[in-house]
Amino acid sequence: MDALGSRFERFLTAVEPDRAGRVIACEAITGGYSRISARARVRWRDGAEDTFILRGDPPPGSGVFTSDRDAEWDLLAALPGATSVSTPVARWYDHSGEYLGSKAIVMDCAAAVSLQDEMARAARVDTGAGPLTDLFVDIFAAVHQTPLDRLPARMPRPPDGPAYLDGVLAGYDRMAGEYPSCAPVLRYVSWWARAHQPPPVPLGLVHGDCQPSNVLVGPSGPPLVIDWEFAHIGDPREDLGYYTQIPLEPNVYWTDPERFLGRYRAATGLTEEQVNPRVVDYFLIIGMAALLEQLLVAAAAIGGAERPGILASYLINAISHQHDMFLAICDRLN
Amino acid sequence: MITKPTTDALIEDCCRELMEGILPGLTDETLKLRLVMTETVLRNAAVRAAHEIAWMREETTALLAYARRVAARHGSAPLRAALADAGAGPSDSLHLADVAECYERAGRAFAAALAAAQEAGAADLVARAREVLRDRIATEKEVMATYAVVGR
Repeated sequence: MDALGSRFERFLTAVEPDRAGRVIACEAITGGYSRISARARVRWRDGAEDTFILRGDPPPGSGVFTSDRDAEWDLLAALPGATSVSTPVARWYDHSGEYLGSKAIVMDCAAAVSLQDEMARAARVDTGAGPLTDLFVDIFAAVHQTPLDRLPARMPRPPDGPAYLDGVLAGYDRMAGEYPSCAPVLRYVSWWARAHQPPPVPLGLVHGDCQPSNVLVGPSGPPLVIDWEFAHIGDPREDLGYYTQIPLEPNVYWTDPERFLGRYRAATGLTEEQVNPRVVDYFLIIGMAALLEQLLVAAAAIGGAERPGILASYLINAISHQHDMFLAICDRLN
Repeated sequence: MITKPTTDALIEDCCRELMEGILPGLTDETLKLRLVMTETVLRNAAVRAAHEIAWMREETTALLAYARRVAARHGSAPLRAALADAGAGPSDSLHLADVAECYERAGRAFAAALAAAQEAGAADLVARAREVLRDRIATEKEVMATYAVVGR
């Protein structure tokens, strides 16, 4: 058993002192870009076994994407009472990192596979991903309609949709000032985006990493939405725009955008003027703002005292990719 | 200096070593992923090493030409200041840090010029800015080399 497994066992002793949990397996889960994740199997004194997911911050100064673990924990605690969308049961939180080495959330590990994998399987056997697409759309439509007054008070609340958009675009101008090699593209894009704002919609809960990989489906029970670290209150169309650039196949938005958006409009009551392919295209620019800033911060740190790791260097390409996408959107929608 | 192999050829040789000599011997999935990312970064660096000074110098010329063209019609204090700052850069030097410095100053002048053109509603100048940016993106895509967008 590795060091994390030993630490987790000590943590279990602290949070469940009467159950004498022993960690019998602990393995890292690779592939994520942001948090450090591990899967741990625990055998309790009474012989029962459970599997948990540990989701913690990377060591300070490493990694590219940062998010607030306290905020994520608060949100996970609030969601069951706020929305019809299900999430994995969040069991415990090492809020100081005393036991697990960094702030870490411990959740039940669901016996489930990702909706993305299910969509890929459906595509391979040619059964079509229509019902799975509907499931995906309905889940995120429900996320977006979460009553905001049931969300943690600490979540920032913009006054309204236009003010929120203004804030995002001001953020692009700020990035342009701080990162001069990106200034030409970002100034062009933020100016263009100000001049082409779509009709507003009510603010909603934005997941921030909207993709079928973050939905788990199993043989029983409801689908589970995971990875809430970038969730915030904003314009829900950000999630739609963000999803359009997810490269995993199949991307069910691009399979049939009109069908996808028709389903979303029916579920949310938004109009075709508010939600259509052009508007979704626009919201890719809005939905990528926070991640782009994190990429720029990490790129600027390369070569400094706090090495952000090889991922930061690798993802410089993602900055270029975003420049290309943003300018292409400006051209398409002009 | 030993001119052959050139820097890009040396880096590409390192890439081959990583992918053909080291990667097959790795069993840890996390290490494999880090090595593949490292190889991609090195491939990007090889492209840059071969061309980046020329590319930045060429684009610096284009950025400043645009800024001066806008200044002639819609001069603003920020634009004049940015052009003056660009003119004060170490433009005679071909050392990489100096070329990059001049390139960034030119970028700031371009951004100030774009803002002036936008505020003036000069559609032809805004359209010209888009042409300049098209060339920039073409260069960035060339640097991306074998990078493939993957899901998070």
